[in-house]
Amino acid sequence: MRWVTLLVLLTPAVARADAGRLLTDHSFDTDPGGQLVVDAGLLVGMPAALPAGLSTGIAAGITRTCGCHFSYGARVGWSRVAEPGTAWLVTQDDFRLRAVGAIRHDAGRGSIALRLGLGTTIVHEVRDREQGMRAGLTGSELQTTATRALPAGELEAVVGIKIAGEWWLVASAGPSLDVLSGSARLGWVSQLGVGWQP
Amino acid sequence: MATLRFAALVALVGCGDLEGFGGQAPPLAEVQVAVTGDASLVPATADLRVAMVWGEQWLVEPICILPPENDAAAAVIAAGCRDPFGFVAARTAANVAAAPGETVSIDLFTLPGADVLVGDLTARVAYASLVVYDDRDHSGNLELARPNRIPDRGPMGGAGDLPTNLDDQVLGASFISMTQPDQRVAYREGVFSPVAAFYPRAGCGDPPPAFSVLAAGGFTAQAAIDATLAGTLPKEDPATCAEGALADSVISVPIQDPANVSEIACSERTTDSSVRYREPDPTDDPPDFANRLSACVHSPSFGAPSSTIELVVSGRSEDSCVGLTHYILKGCREGPDCGTPDWDHSLNPPTWWPCGT
Repeated sequence: MRWVTLLVLLTPAVARADAGRLLTDHSFDTDPGGQLVVDAGLLVGMPAALPAGLSTGIAAGITRTCGCHFSYGARVGWSRVAEPGTAWLVTQDDFRLRAVGAIRHDAGRGSIALRLGLGTTIVHEVRDREQGMRAGLTGSELQTTATRALPAGELEAVVGIKIAGEWWLVASAGPSLDVLSGSARLGWVSQLGVGWQP
Repeated sequence: MATLRFAALVALVGCGDLEGFGGQAPPLAEVQVAVTGDASLVPATADLRVAMVWGEQWLVEPICILPPENDAAAAVIAAGCRDPFGFVAARTAANVAAAPGETVSIDLFTLPGADVLVGDLTARVAYASLVVYDDRDHSGNLELARPNRIPDRGPMGGAGDLPTNLDDQVLGASFISMTQPDQRVAYREGVFSPVAAFYPRAGCGDPPPAFSVLAAGGFTAQAAIDATLAGTLPKEDPATCAEGALADSVISVPIQDPANVSEIACSERTTDSSVRYREPDPTDDPPDFANRLSACVHSPSFGAPSSTIELVVSGRSEDSCVGLTHYILKGCREGPDCGTPDWDHSLNPPTWWPCGT
């Protein structure tokens, strides 16, 4: 028994690694890819013109990176919110059109950026009179529609990580601002999606 | 070209103002009411208003439509029974100021609730009467009252929380009784059942879907009795019938002697319209019968005469609404024939019991 214990204790001393190393200094090196990044994903944010509710939808963008820390591009998004009030069921579709510019820093597989987007949010509003269908209302008494383009923008922190080959996981969030009837409305927006950098 | 495209985009995206939850909400319906009739019946200091009142489903007590058993019973029935064919108010939906000879508009911002819609989800209807009244308490609303039945220990259900005296004075209504010509507001959902006996208008057209204004000439009490015995509904004269849209109709409310229309503001308990009986408990204090009429009668029956004697008591003469209170020595709240009685004082009636055992 004593000899068996001694043998067990001495065994690690004679163990050795494989001849080749699993990890090297270049194990996490990535292909820097091209200058264009296309991304798309889910969008959640405050409605541009409605004081209540959560607007959810999708967004996509294209960004051109250059050798420096600056990148620029364009983004589009659509989101919808539907909220009941005392008299109206309000549905608003927000179409976001933005020109974006970002200050970016890459670190290994990751990238962090501060992105400023400016443009317009086109809001299409449909209001249905509560109980109007049951009451037999028709026309504008039953439903009203309106469309407005609002000056808008947002400042987002963007975090990306290269997950496989040319594919990125991209998340962003930050405050937004739009101007409705001459007054500024502060909100927020966040996005989560995947990017492709061929 | 680019400028044109931009202009087109601006034109496209600038259509209308975003209102959100704000802006003016159109009423769900608008009812036009003309106050007609003898304006001299309106008190000089009257705060005249028009209310729209939804009606409820309620059945009159059997004793009120059967021949009276004796003179005392006839007096109690006269003092305690409302019009068996009368409109029974459930809830005031809307009010607006009015004046004799003028037409006013009542905007409705809510639909009738399920408590005043009669029928199932596939076919239900509600009816309303337009009531002209003197808003004596200046509350801006037509308050409803209930019969002043003698208080009981058990639950009364329905309109038990309403007052027994009404400050407001009713001066006219568009729908008073099925035995009189009427104009009523109808609200229908789903199909319409032609055999529904809820303020029936047999012989007239179905009410249109949603809101509408209906009219009928009324039927006689005897016609209603004959039709009931035949298992049908009493027929209206088709020449007196009308069904129209709210927008195309003006409901006329003639001002009348208040004595003829005061019942319009009286609601009834809505549990199931059945008679609730009281227990004359010998251990309790005697009920207060002051200013009430009472009679001892056999329990009313549409079949073989009942051997049960009950005490029936009217309301007080100063009450706004009429009603009856029933006592039996042996039985249950539901009646004397309830199987195992909840009480039996037939061998030891209270000292105040005026009837036989």
